[in-house]
Amino acid sequence: MTDSPSPLAARLAEIIEEFRDAEPRERLELLLELANSLPPLPPELAAQRDAGMHRVHECQTPVFLWIGVSEGRVTIQADVAPESPTVKGFVALLAEAFGGATPEQVLATPPDLIQQLGLTAALGMTRMRGLHAILHRVREEVRKAAASA
Amino acid sequence: MTSEYAHPEVLVSTDWVAEHTGDPQVRVVESDEDVLLYDQGHVPGAVRIDWHLDLQHAIIRDYVDQTAFETLCKSKGIARDTTVVFYGDKNNWWACYAFWAFKLYGHPRCLIMNGGRKRWDLDQRAWQRGPEPQYPHTDYRAQPPDPAIRAFRDEVFQHQQRGGRLIDVRSPGEYTGEMLHMPDYPQEGALRGGHIPGAASVPWSRAVQDDGTFKPRDQLEDIYLKDCRLEARDKVIAYCRIGERSSHTWFVLQYLLGFQSVKNYDGSWTEWGNLVGAPIAKGPQPG
Repeated sequence: MTDSPSPLAARLAEIIEEFRDAEPRERLELLLELANSLPPLPPELAAQRDAGMHRVHECQTPVFLWIGVSEGRVTIQADVAPESPTVKGFVALLAEAFGGATPEQVLATPPDLIQQLGLTAALGMTRMRGLHAILHRVREEVRKAAASA
Repeated sequence: MTSEYAHPEVLVSTDWVAEHTGDPQVRVVESDEDVLLYDQGHVPGAVRIDWHLDLQHAIIRDYVDQTAFETLCKSKGIARDTTVVFYGDKNNWWACYAFWAFKLYGHPRCLIMNGGRKRWDLDQRAWQRGPEPQYPHTDYRAQPPDPAIRAFRDEVFQHQQRGGRLIDVRSPGEYTGEMLHMPDYPQEGALRGGHIPGAASVPWSRAVQDDGTFKPRDQLEDIYLKDCRLEARDKVIAYCRIGERSSHTWFVLQYLLGFQSVKNYDGSWTEWGNLVGAPIAKGPQPG
């Protein structure tokens, strides 16, 4: 029982493997595909975004997150300005990996996830801190949502 | 009627770039903060040069050396006599950085597409998708780095001690020392906050208009000559956090306002703010 990975760990492992198997340039393509796959916000959330709510303030890029816990499972909806496809792709990756997992599983994800994805080689060291800030923020939001659920 | 820029020939419009699509004498180069933008769509025929992956040394904190710069130009189909037009996101911030790096190695004809990606988009011009176009390789020979446009820390120290003119182009909060990095940008490592004593605060983005193009000359003169009391004959050193925003201001002073001697201190605050014993001023006054 303890040996079998959680569904989240398995899904993350799959994503990590996909990124690691790719050349650095191809990792950018994967990230761009993810960016393009992020679904548009439903109208009620788009209205909140337009009112400036749910913005992640530590990002210079406009990033908007709605993170909750429903029936013990994490829900993530997000929106990122199209001028920042890298950030958008990374947010989409986290939404795909974390959505439907339990908060405990999300909080147990490896802290060096970004390194494991091989994004440093693809994007360069100086672009990493922004992604770290987003990962940190998503985990914090999950922690808060779980505490108030 | 606004007077012309000091060197109006270094700025071209999106029209000009569109008209020169396919011109073998012209190479259009996109340089962005967000590395995926090029893949989403670029100016037809443009190649990409990434400020970090292509222009920075992989190990040492420095630019690529002369040989690596030559290899880069060869691979992008840029010859010594090619006219290189830079453009990018964020009001051409990174385009100016790449322009500066090309000037560092003495490339003769460098231009900026005024307004960058933003203006191209506002003009509703077509973006090209797909892989980066390949051009016949060249036999590029660069010049050794030009010390006239790059300042190192000892020189900045001597300049500061002599009361030389310095411009800090970071945000007001970084200048006063209230914050160690750009608001909303992640921390990028300086142990002390504040500015180099004597430096005037002029955030770089004051030089641009809403459509991403540079402000007209008279408005730029109001900012840099009137407000900062700089003169075109002053020796000026510009700095920011890692030397990228200040390359934008370097461009404005040297090419749009015709300053004779402007240097970019690329060590910038991540060097000065970590340097043991370096003088620092805090608060809104130059100090």
